[in-house]
Amino acid sequence: MNTVAILTDITKCTGCESCVSACRVENQLGPDKAQRQSHAIDDLSSTRHTTILRRPGDHFVRQQCRHCTEPACVSACLVGAMQKTPEGPVVYDKKKCMGCRYCMVACPYGIPRYDWDKAIPYVHKCTMCYQRINDDKMPACTIACPEKATIFGTRDEMLKIARQRLKDSPNKYVQKIYGETEVGGTNVLYISDIPLDFLGCKPDMGDTAMPELTWAALSKVPPVILGMGGLMSGIYWIIGRRMKMQELEAAVVTSGSEEKE
Amino acid sequence: MNQRLRIVKTILWGLVGVLGVVTIARFINGLGPTTGLSDAAPWGFWIAFDVMAGVALAAGGFVLVATVYIFGLERYRPFVRPAILTAFLGYAAVATGLLYDLGLPWNIWHPMIFPQHHSVLFEVAMCVMLYLTVLALEFAPVVLEHGWFGHPLFRTVLGLVKRFTIVLVIAGIVLSTLHQSSLGSLFLIAPFRLHALWYSPVIYVLFFISAIGLGLMTVAMESLISGWLLGHKIRTDLLSGLGKAASFVLGLYCIVRLGDLAVRGVLGSAFNGSWHATLFLFEICICALVPAILLSMRRVRTSITGLTICSSMTIIGMILNRFSVCILAFDRPLAMSYFPTWIELAVSLGIVAGAALIFLFFVENLKVYSEEDESDAHSVGTSSGFNPGAFHDLMPESVAGPRRYSLVLVAAASMAVFLLPDAAVLGEQSVSTPVLGVRTVEGVKVKDSNGGGVEFMLASAQTKGKSIPLMMIDGNRDGRLVFFPHENHVKELGNDNSCQQCHHQNMPFDKNTSCFQCHSDMYEASDIFSHDSHIKHMEGNEGCVKCHDDPTQVKSRQTAKACQQCHSDMIAADTFRARPAKALVGMATGYMNAMHGLCIDCHERKIKEKPGEYSANFARCDTCHGDPANADLHGAGPYSLQLVKSAKP
Repeated sequence: MNTVAILTDITKCTGCESCVSACRVENQLGPDKAQRQSHAIDDLSSTRHTTILRRPGDHFVRQQCRHCTEPACVSACLVGAMQKTPEGPVVYDKKKCMGCRYCMVACPYGIPRYDWDKAIPYVHKCTMCYQRINDDKMPACTIACPEKATIFGTRDEMLKIARQRLKDSPNKYVQKIYGETEVGGTNVLYISDIPLDFLGCKPDMGDTAMPELTWAALSKVPPVILGMGGLMSGIYWIIGRRMKMQELEAAVVTSGSEEKE
Repeated sequence: MNQRLRIVKTILWGLVGVLGVVTIARFINGLGPTTGLSDAAPWGFWIAFDVMAGVALAAGGFVLVATVYIFGLERYRPFVRPAILTAFLGYAAVATGLLYDLGLPWNIWHPMIFPQHHSVLFEVAMCVMLYLTVLALEFAPVVLEHGWFGHPLFRTVLGLVKRFTIVLVIAGIVLSTLHQSSLGSLFLIAPFRLHALWYSPVIYVLFFISAIGLGLMTVAMESLISGWLLGHKIRTDLLSGLGKAASFVLGLYCIVRLGDLAVRGVLGSAFNGSWHATLFLFEICICALVPAILLSMRRVRTSITGLTICSSMTIIGMILNRFSVCILAFDRPLAMSYFPTWIELAVSLGIVAGAALIFLFFVENLKVYSEEDESDAHSVGTSSGFNPGAFHDLMPESVAGPRRYSLVLVAAASMAVFLLPDAAVLGEQSVSTPVLGVRTVEGVKVKDSNGGGVEFMLASAQTKGKSIPLMMIDGNRDGRLVFFPHENHVKELGNDNSCQQCHHQNMPFDKNTSCFQCHSDMYEASDIFSHDSHIKHMEGNEGCVKCHDDPTQVKSRQTAKACQQCHSDMIAADTFRARPAKALVGMATGYMNAMHGLCIDCHERKIKEKPGEYSANFARCDTCHGDPANADLHGAGPYSLQLVKSAKP
């Protein structure tokens, strides 16, 4: 199925943060606050769903949710508050959420943020402006970008454009589409002239989708129920029977000895 | 009641008192002000101790139940009831602890109506919930045997529970197997964050085996404590049997754990002397290796000292193991440290203390221990002679206890109130970021290297051209600054008569107040209205009506006249400044907002007025921010260092 995707070209980004402002307006995030925890990290926060990371040598890298094809956060959420929509974006339903924060532990890119300063807190992350995509509009950040450094379209189109650019200027780009296959593929793709390994938890995260790792353990649940239940019942039956036999034997022996006397 | 028990109970009541206070702070002000948790460390002490370690410590229940009911080892029956009670209270404590940790605890029942069976946490939640029910039913006979429940209905329930004991037992074992192991599987989703010495594809096997070993040792520890505290006979003969079993299980744990490392080829990294390697070696030695070896010796496992040492080591070691997986060996890619606040510790300790008090209540009122065990009770600590200082000698025993405990409860609670940090009482405080004025430096005007437009940079030996004064606008001095050519703006906007276009004129006898004098916080609005000075200049109380002109309204800032109704000269006709909304009367918005509002507004206007002269980029952030030629001066942002660090292979 053809899903939507965002392609960000690091070579074109000038770091103007128009995307950040557009996101703030579209998602009504309110003013950026000096929060105890947020500014010390990568500047993503519950009031900042996308941000620009400055890298040495005038490189600007936009940080946002990757909308993985097989998202770890969706498989982790025990109430299904994180959902992968058929169109591609990963969205969050705050009515279902119970606040366990397992999604934040699970995300290989460390994206979800939390309302730490609120008594009724929710998880926050980019939703690829799902409300707009539904109306056949583009995400606010891709419209706002004056350099067309971050563009929006179907995933196939984006991959095609990315491949074309890599082919056209092979010396300019790192010959890799970030997000094509990583952790099972993502719906936010990057092409770049600097390595973008620093964006994930580890430089090379492989192509295995995260949910497969837990499913390997989780799929063993039915056999464990049957096996453990059967084993315990079996042992109970055998040992109970043995004890009964022993008692009977003892009774026979004592009655036999009584007879002799 | 003996002296030891009285002291222990006093301490427990004190901890419960503290718990009461911090509970209020936690639920009124949220997680941020009361815990050390952050976006980089979403799981902390509560998950590691209350949930991970708590569930493992309560494994004694299912291990003992299996031993007696399934394997028919009847001699261990005296341990069953206390073990089930501990397990039940342990799981109840886990559930209570979880309520503190969850952001939205009132939604804790959501897994039942919004099941998501691909989540390991869903499986854990369901198993824990069902197992808590099973434990309640397993313990029900002890309660229902009591004289209070003589009603035929209770008798019927009791009969039913007793009849289906074996079904409950098997269900309990299956559920325990599932969730004890699944607590490990939770971390399978984070292969890049959990250190290789802990992250194993078979982590669930390790969690399960360690739970059995730990369960056996917790039962032993519990028996030793009740011997020490309540004076019950310590059955060393039985405990040595548990010790022997534990020695096998813990030995197996070591073999599986080290074998797993060897198979995955990371055994070498356990000995490379790094912090993680040291932690790993220390952990496996005290949680399994040393206790397994010690307990295999008959002399050790038949002595009370030996058993005490071994069970303490296993318990501390296994708790450390859960902490390693959850916190210590769990990499935070954002390079932020996590340290629990005292409030987090107080909540965990308070819950344990509460559970212990309920345990003691049950022991005192119900038949948890068998008759023969209790025969020796009430003989410890009571033989001491007359003590004139002792509280309990001054009043009857029955009054002394409750009074002392209430006193401690209240004293501890009030102490906790004083110790609470400000944020935990008042909610998350906005961080005040005072603004400092601009600095003026020598600069030069250069052509933009990317073509188009001009740029300003610091004058140096390398720069050419006439030097001009440049203002460095960097209110909070974080290094992300903007060069502002004030002179150029003055010239552009019409020389001497242009001040009021950007500047307020509200300071007395002032034409161009510096921005930071009123916009004195980087992000937050600050109060600039002086009520006192207005009273002074408007003949005291008679002047009230001049501003509070509507007598039907409460006299407040919002209902008063707007400032510019009197101070009409404060805002010039040709100003670029946004007129303050009524709601903001007397408040100056944050420095950053003020600067952005003024500059961006005017730049946008200029594009519209003279589209030929100004490019479409003129109102964008990088027109003022980010000067490639002087990138080092602008700083790479607050995150640069940490990101470079975590980017290393």
